[in-house]
Amino acid sequence: MSRFDARGKVNRALLAGVSEYDHTASDDPRGVSGQLPAVRHNRTGLEDALRRGGVFGAGEVRALASPAPDDFTLELRRVCREARGLLLLYFAGHAVTSTSGSELHLQMRTARVLPGNGLPGSVSFTEVLGELTESNAEQVVVILDCCYAGNAAGIWHRFDDPKRKKHKILLLMSVQPNRCILGGDADEATPFTRELTHVLDEGGEVWLSELYTKVKERMEAANYRAEDDDEQRPQALAPPWKREADVLLAAGPGTVARRTESAHGGWSSRLRSLLARVRKALARSGRTALAALLALLATAAGIYGILVLTGDSGPCAPALELRVLADPDLEPAVRAVADDYVTSDANTTGEGCRRSGVTVNSAGSAAVVNALAERTDAWQQPREDDNPQRDIGPQPDVWIPATGADVDRVTTAAAEEDRIFARLEPEAEPIAYSPVVLAVPKQLRADLEPTGQSLSRLLTALERADRKAEVHRPDPEFTDAALLATTSLYGDADARDAELDLARTERPEPTAVRLLCALPGRGTAVDHRGAALVPEFLLKSGIGCHPVTRAPRVAAYPDDVPGLEPAFVRVRWEDGDRDATARDDAVDRFHTWLTGKEGRAVLGEYGFRSAKGERGLLDAASVPEGLTESLRPAGTADPTTMGQTLVDYGNAHGPGRVLYLLDSSGSMAGRWDGPSGGPGILRQTLPGLGGKDEYGVWAVHGTGGRTHTELLPFGTHARREAERALGAAEVRDAEADPHGALLDALAFMRERGGGDDRPQLIVYLTDGEDDGRLTGKAALKEILDRAGGAGVPVTMVSLSSSGCDQGRPATRIAEAGRGRCLDAGDDLVPALHDEVARVGMGEE
Amino acid sequence: MARRLTAAALSLLSLIALASCTGKDAPQQPQGAADPPRIVVASGQDVTGKNGIRQQLIDAWNAREGEGGYRARLVELPGSADQQRSQLLGALQSGGAEYDVVNLDVTWIPEFAAAGLIRPLTGAAVKSPGDIIPAVDRTSFWGGERYAVPFNSDVGLLYYRKDHLRDAGASRTVGPGVTWTDLRNLIDAVNDDSPKPENYEEGWTTQLAAYEGRTVNAIEAFASAVPGFALTDEDGRYAADEARLTAGVTELRERTATPYMLEEASGSREAESLSAFAEGRTTFLRHWPYVYPSLYETFKGNLGVTRLPGKAVLGGQNLAVTSNTSEQRAAKAAELIAFLTDPDSERCLLRAGFAATRTSAYEAPGGAPECRHASAYSSGASASPTGESAEVKAPDQLADGVSYSRDILLPALREAVQRPRTPLYGAVTQTLITELGALYGPRPPGDAQVAKNLDEALSKVLPG
Repeated sequence: MSRFDARGKVNRALLAGVSEYDHTASDDPRGVSGQLPAVRHNRTGLEDALRRGGVFGAGEVRALASPAPDDFTLELRRVCREARGLLLLYFAGHAVTSTSGSELHLQMRTARVLPGNGLPGSVSFTEVLGELTESNAEQVVVILDCCYAGNAAGIWHRFDDPKRKKHKILLLMSVQPNRCILGGDADEATPFTRELTHVLDEGGEVWLSELYTKVKERMEAANYRAEDDDEQRPQALAPPWKREADVLLAAGPGTVARRTESAHGGWSSRLRSLLARVRKALARSGRTALAALLALLATAAGIYGILVLTGDSGPCAPALELRVLADPDLEPAVRAVADDYVTSDANTTGEGCRRSGVTVNSAGSAAVVNALAERTDAWQQPREDDNPQRDIGPQPDVWIPATGADVDRVTTAAAEEDRIFARLEPEAEPIAYSPVVLAVPKQLRADLEPTGQSLSRLLTALERADRKAEVHRPDPEFTDAALLATTSLYGDADARDAELDLARTERPEPTAVRLLCALPGRGTAVDHRGAALVPEFLLKSGIGCHPVTRAPRVAAYPDDVPGLEPAFVRVRWEDGDRDATARDDAVDRFHTWLTGKEGRAVLGEYGFRSAKGERGLLDAASVPEGLTESLRPAGTADPTTMGQTLVDYGNAHGPGRVLYLLDSSGSMAGRWDGPSGGPGILRQTLPGLGGKDEYGVWAVHGTGGRTHTELLPFGTHARREAERALGAAEVRDAEADPHGALLDALAFMRERGGGDDRPQLIVYLTDGEDDGRLTGKAALKEILDRAGGAGVPVTMVSLSSSGCDQGRPATRIAEAGRGRCLDAGDDLVPALHDEVARVGMGEE
Repeated sequence: MARRLTAAALSLLSLIALASCTGKDAPQQPQGAADPPRIVVASGQDVTGKNGIRQQLIDAWNAREGEGGYRARLVELPGSADQQRSQLLGALQSGGAEYDVVNLDVTWIPEFAAAGLIRPLTGAAVKSPGDIIPAVDRTSFWGGERYAVPFNSDVGLLYYRKDHLRDAGASRTVGPGVTWTDLRNLIDAVNDDSPKPENYEEGWTTQLAAYEGRTVNAIEAFASAVPGFALTDEDGRYAADEARLTAGVTELRERTATPYMLEEASGSREAESLSAFAEGRTTFLRHWPYVYPSLYETFKGNLGVTRLPGKAVLGGQNLAVTSNTSEQRAAKAAELIAFLTDPDSERCLLRAGFAATRTSAYEAPGGAPECRHASAYSSGASASPTGESAEVKAPDQLADGVSYSRDILLPALREAVQRPRTPLYGAVTQTLITELGALYGPRPPGDAQVAKNLDEALSKVLPG
């Protein structure tokens, strides 16, 4: 798909500018606050600029001067019907939003505000969206210059659109969400439209993306202020705003634009005097009335903001806490930016107080996409059997996936859900760029073309260069970089075959940085012939481990693996709008920092590239050896392919077989009940298993001939059946024989796995009380030998907090069985869940 | 772009706001509905080998409420304290999750109270407050008001290997009065021993990685070096100065210098330091009470435990009622807290391996203290015919008739020092972690320089 140039098509531009209102506060208490003479200049100025711009032909631009709602709707329907190419809708005038910010009411000439929910004379933005999605136009651009314009993005996201027609609608908004702006001076256009018109009039091709960027820069330079003396920052929603989604808005000869003077003096001073009046009113009215007045003024601000304003907590109120969830590969870089930001002047008020605290964490990308799409209910209100708050982490205010395609994956999957409790509002532009590369040991480089080759060609060349060369890739379910690499690895090939071509390890490393650090740990030989599919930035910042032993690696750039384009996504939780204004402000400020000079400097240190243009390294001063300075980005990540690749990846390994051994001896009585008891822990791993996976549970007890009884027979099960079996499990008044039980389990699983290469796992959960039966040298050696040769990983779970210390039986068995040893000192439940989910296919 | 919303618009919007507020409160208690009304308790993950003692206590309260009464439900948060704090703050500030009761680390109380996220409590939320160890109970207050009730406490302890000391011929015993000079002499003895104990590397280890553990160790050193040391006064204002900080930094550096401290301790958290000690790589370990049972399992009679030399920092968690909850639920939540922190619950928590917050829990008239709320910890449940004990082993009687709980844990709690009490604790601890990191970097500056930087940074963060 190429950029959208509508010249020569049937286009329409509808410019609705409401400068005159029938009811204003001076004569009607239910009217709007006042007339908007500046909007007259908006209307005429923009109309002229668009006509000169040459994208809209003669008669294709229609301006509506202060229409009533019916006139507006009628004309809107008409242009929707007529336009075949580009449809541009512009609105300037008064607007109000509901307290929750979930609807935006555009106020037309007859607007009034009545008690109750009465808003006669207004048109809701949802209604406008409804008309626009049904239009015949190929592409729609909406430009809003009004109070709360930024709220339109959230409405777009919430807009129910199963056919995905809304994706042809792009939004440009004059101010951030939940912010009101002032009406401007009577003798010139409002700040946003003034700058918009200026850029359109500069001449040459003006594309939407650059229009947005330039207007943003100009407004920042002019320091326009919105309500509460906040910056006025224009917003864009153009998902995903990529080169191919860009829209040409003007291509005119250019005019000598009149640089209007900064708006500082005019309306900013008026704002200050208004604020002063408010302050005086507050001073008169005492504390109770003060809170009430603040409640009135802060239309969308919540109780928290008010408490902060009126609370008596010393000079600095506690900061607002932002929860940031990043892709695991990105976490260190995002955390570094956040740490700098938190102590920066940008995050400090004039009184020297911190505005916000930022806590960054990460979780597996597939689990996060799934949770944001299908588990937002449980994330907000955890249930006993589904608790993303514990298993994934805090409900994020900001989500930074490694590619914007994740947002589409969530949106598509969420469309199938009855109710969504978290809404995503992605920023249009990626934060940075980093290609996914094949990091090869330096000595193998000569045989590889560094650029211009597909991944499969690079791998063929690598194999030719060294037949023993191994290709490593982290877990595609855990990071986007690994998933994107896998989309190209599979390509047209069979997923199972493609997986067989990769280095065999008992379990893929979760992140690229862990993989790079683990390679030398596997021995120098592996290090020197091991190539790794990792994001390029780690060749600068991910090489801090094992400096002595690691082989230096250089990058080969496959041209068919989409690169990382981390997205900045605001996450809005249902009812989480108590401090919406303050939280939006905190998010905006962090975003500005992250994408501004300071954030880019940190990202540059971490090895990221610019998200735009030649994709140059942000820190061009120190280019690590073996990296290309500028490059042509590979194609864009495709959400459907990513989703399918994950399914193929799961199928390439499964369905799996898991045998649980649950120590049921008397000593377990103290570790039996509740979610942290033995049965409870196993129960929490069941979501990792699906209807096609085979599994069973043995209750381990008895020291005679029989080492266990069957709690759940081995086979396929509905989850509820398995939960019932675990719920009915009881502690036995007996000791256990772990030695005998493990030998039985290994033999049992060896029989099962004879005929295929399905993944298998034995999980042994114990309190270690009967380890004495293992510590006899012969007994332990026998188990270690069998476990080592069985081909079935054994994961040991010890409910003692030192059960997995070096040299303990559980540690040694897990090592021999190439499984993991998890004890109470670990984050046990999520870790065990991951182990089981790796083997099982999970729920479909 | 309304110049400002008109009075009419404002009153409309505030009406909407009011409506939504009352709308929110109303359906919270559907009397007679199928589901009993719920109290949601948010707390960090509880997979600590304590058999979900918190869940058991909640179950006991639910049982007491009976059918048709309230049901308390435990929502577990992530294991990491940073993530717990982030979620609790973010959710309570924005309203994006519903919690009625929150289990807060003691250092978070001022922040949550000052932000109005938790509410002042009346006497209904706490039974026999005079029984709570005063140092522990002080963590519950902010601005002169009680905002929380201590649930479980924590304090730094010193663990050591008796066999290492015995083999090195060290004559000095390690008792409650041990000093850092004694400790260094003992380490010298082990270092000079030949052959050295198996796997032995250095004298002691602790938690100095760039996280809360570094702050804890620093405060312990600072408070030991400077009598009456405090970074903040009771209003949360900065109360230290360069001179006192220099003395504190000197003490911290001496404690953590080679050849006494395991070098990797500068990057260790709880788990790494525990492993190093469990593997025999050090003779001493500074750690929390919860590791006692597992270390005892490993070393049996060769394990020693006593109070830390100098001052020890107080940890633990307190239960609080959120401001978001309705008055009706808040009253019930206070009852729940009173139950979860009552003398019986505290006895159960002590038996489960937590440091109890009440003096009465440590008294054992006529034998083992009773615990009725949690069946798995009630007396009598420990014996089974196979001889396997039902509870985590924490032998209370140490050598020489010393009781671990009464003679070591209880006095340590009584005399423990607090970390700075300020609503800006997050910023303070971050500053300490960052500035003290210089001591463990490649070219550590002098004590005075580190103290000067720290003083400047803290004066910036804290009100003067």
